[in-house]
Amino acid sequence: MSSFRPAVVTVAMLAAVGLLTSCGGSGTGAQAKSDGEPVYGGTLTYLEHQPPTCLYLPAAGFYPNGGVLNQLTDKLTWQNPETLKIEPWIATKWEINEDATEYTFHLRDGVTFSDGTPLDAEAVAANFDVYGRGDDKLKLPPAEFVNNYERSEVIDARTVRFHFGKPSPGFLQGTSVIGAGLVSKKTIGLPYEEQCQLKNIIGSGPFTVAKQVVDKEIDLQARKDYNWAPPSSAHQGRAYLDLVKIIVTPEDNVRVGALTSGQADYVRYVQAYDEATVKSAGFVVQGEPTRGVNNGLYLRPANSILKDIRVRKALQAGTDAKEVVDTLFTDNYPVATSVLSHQAAGYVDLSDKLAYDPGKAGELLDEAGWTRGADGVREKDGVKLRLGVFVAGPQPLSKQTLELVAQQWAKIGVKLEIRPADAGTQAVDIKDAEKTAVNHSMVGRADQDVIKSQFHTKNRDVILSNDTKLDQLLEEESALADETRRNEKVAEIQRYVIDQGYAIPLFEEPQVYGIAPYVHGAAFEAVGRPSFYAVWLGK
Amino acid sequence: MRWLSWAVIALVVLWAAMPSLFTGYDPLAGVPAEKLQGPSAAHLFGTDAVGRDLFARVVHGSVHSLSGALVAVAVGLVFGTLLGLIAGSVRGVVDEIVMRVMDVLLSVPGLLLALTVIILLGPGTVHVALAVGVGSVASFARLARAEVVRVRRTDYVEAAFGSGGTFAGVLWRHVLPNSLGPVIALSALQFGVAILAISTLGFLGYGAEPPTPEWGLLIAEGRNYLATSWWLTTLPGAVVVAVVLAAGRISKEIR
Repeated sequence: MSSFRPAVVTVAMLAAVGLLTSCGGSGTGAQAKSDGEPVYGGTLTYLEHQPPTCLYLPAAGFYPNGGVLNQLTDKLTWQNPETLKIEPWIATKWEINEDATEYTFHLRDGVTFSDGTPLDAEAVAANFDVYGRGDDKLKLPPAEFVNNYERSEVIDARTVRFHFGKPSPGFLQGTSVIGAGLVSKKTIGLPYEEQCQLKNIIGSGPFTVAKQVVDKEIDLQARKDYNWAPPSSAHQGRAYLDLVKIIVTPEDNVRVGALTSGQADYVRYVQAYDEATVKSAGFVVQGEPTRGVNNGLYLRPANSILKDIRVRKALQAGTDAKEVVDTLFTDNYPVATSVLSHQAAGYVDLSDKLAYDPGKAGELLDEAGWTRGADGVREKDGVKLRLGVFVAGPQPLSKQTLELVAQQWAKIGVKLEIRPADAGTQAVDIKDAEKTAVNHSMVGRADQDVIKSQFHTKNRDVILSNDTKLDQLLEEESALADETRRNEKVAEIQRYVIDQGYAIPLFEEPQVYGIAPYVHGAAFEAVGRPSFYAVWLGK
Repeated sequence: MRWLSWAVIALVVLWAAMPSLFTGYDPLAGVPAEKLQGPSAAHLFGTDAVGRDLFARVVHGSVHSLSGALVAVAVGLVFGTLLGLIAGSVRGVVDEIVMRVMDVLLSVPGLLLALTVIILLGPGTVHVALAVGVGSVASFARLARAEVVRVRRTDYVEAAFGSGGTFAGVLWRHVLPNSLGPVIALSALQFGVAILAISTLGFLGYGAEPPTPEWGLLIAEGRNYLATSWWLTTLPGAVVVAVVLAAGRISKEIR
């Protein structure tokens, strides 16, 4: 019998080889098919990293929210993610007066919300009155992408005009962001708590909500009568897909495992260390730029230690952003060369100001009177040079990044105290410059105003600013009508923020997606949130 | 195999007492260029994502996990035994009240109880230890009470009372020492359980602040790298398993 053994083994091996070749064969077959015509129908399973929070449209900046709302709503204008030019969508054309204080939009005919009501001038006016001014009675905060808004004027059913108290050059781009998605008059008239809930969001977008299990799953169904995609979109009419299942999967391993094993078709947030796994399994890793304020550490001047500019500059010089990127991230995460991403509007290269120089950092700290104690941590008048920071849940590898920075700062005698992101204490302490001296964050938006979003005291105010000059510069920027002068102003702000030591930019944060090879037509808006409208499955 | 469990415990106690004897690496500062290296002669347990030596982190982390477990067991042992002693010797209404409160404590899952205490006290190594300790008071109290009730009825205790001993004196000299055996065995077992519970809370992010190494936290940090760098979870996990098993075996011997 033993003489049969080799034969059996050979047969088994041949069979295995045969299987392998047939796999390869079918693979190329799928490829050939994919190059052909798009197909309608099918269900796309999309894994999201975090559950959406409040879905009031101006809160769409949070990526999980934006990922849902982008499918449910249309915008007045469409920003071409490649050229960043503003193109027509629901507004077919528009006029802007000389000093950018009056915008007139002419609307497309025949667009309806999913509850059947028309998307007309009145609905658009109602939307922007809320986004521009907020509504105290309904507790709706104003949106960060509309500045200097005064009022709307309905000229006829398909023409609407917006008036601004001061020039508002960022407004045209502001009408294209996800946060400016148009919702029905019924939705926009609801109080904040109700607009937060997905079931109340009635938009005119290519998908509608079919089912929601809070914090777990959202099913989006294609709207059959949808026929108002941006004119420059290659695909028109209804979405190719029938259904998009958005499933919240917080564990990084599980998302990547589900993708590579075929249980999911599309995942958001492939961590840097998983990119190689995804690629080697034959899947696409897509890194989309967010074109905004870079991922970095933002230093709060109201803190009793950081109020000294020399300490802030020392921390800036003592942080090696390149080491952070080389150690923890990949090519999708370029090292920051300014406060803004190099793909952001108004970017200026400040890499010479951001060079790693621990020697200079030490000198600055010595000069500021901080001397090394026995344990290597500097102190002054009995106070240790200790600064608190919270691990930032939405930022990629925030904890590892902070640990690495803490390691770099330890070399110059500064102790960075890293606190785990536990929601209860964080909510209280993060607004306290004494307890949370350093903020780890970023914000994306493809307009010059993004820098105002991050730093202005009335917007995100990450540094809890007490610097009136910074506020003034930001306000000047958001009111400049001329593009070149506006960019110059943005450059001035970037220099100011770096010179004042308010920011330690680390890297340009991308949104990294993992996509199965049979998923076609994956598209993203200018700051990397997905659009499922033109996606089709070639399997 | 008896010596093995003792050897394991002795080793980790030595780690906690004199970590620098076992590793020359800094547990907090790594060399970023040497990140994510597999186990080798230079790095016994490999290195993590920031290039820190994992073995150094496990060794230096032992002091947090072990001292935490000691505090937790001490809290349970002292308060549990005290309550059991009082309930078992006084009997009557006091016994009923104390033991029904213990029943309530026992009916709440240990982890939930520990989490509740943590939320009240705030995160931190000591708080975690206290939280785990509070969770074990009830089982100590029950065991101690049962033993005390048995010993209390023995002839020599009656004789001690008869020959004029005070209540507290007899409890201290005769009842307590003679009912302590099983309680000590339980505390050895609880030691292993406490290490697990502290690691669990560390895993959930309530323990030491990063970058302080703590066993549970090490395991939690490594799980994202499970597919690419197995040693980050597996090796610290194996250490925890070994210590908990050893504590369990020792407890069996004492009993």
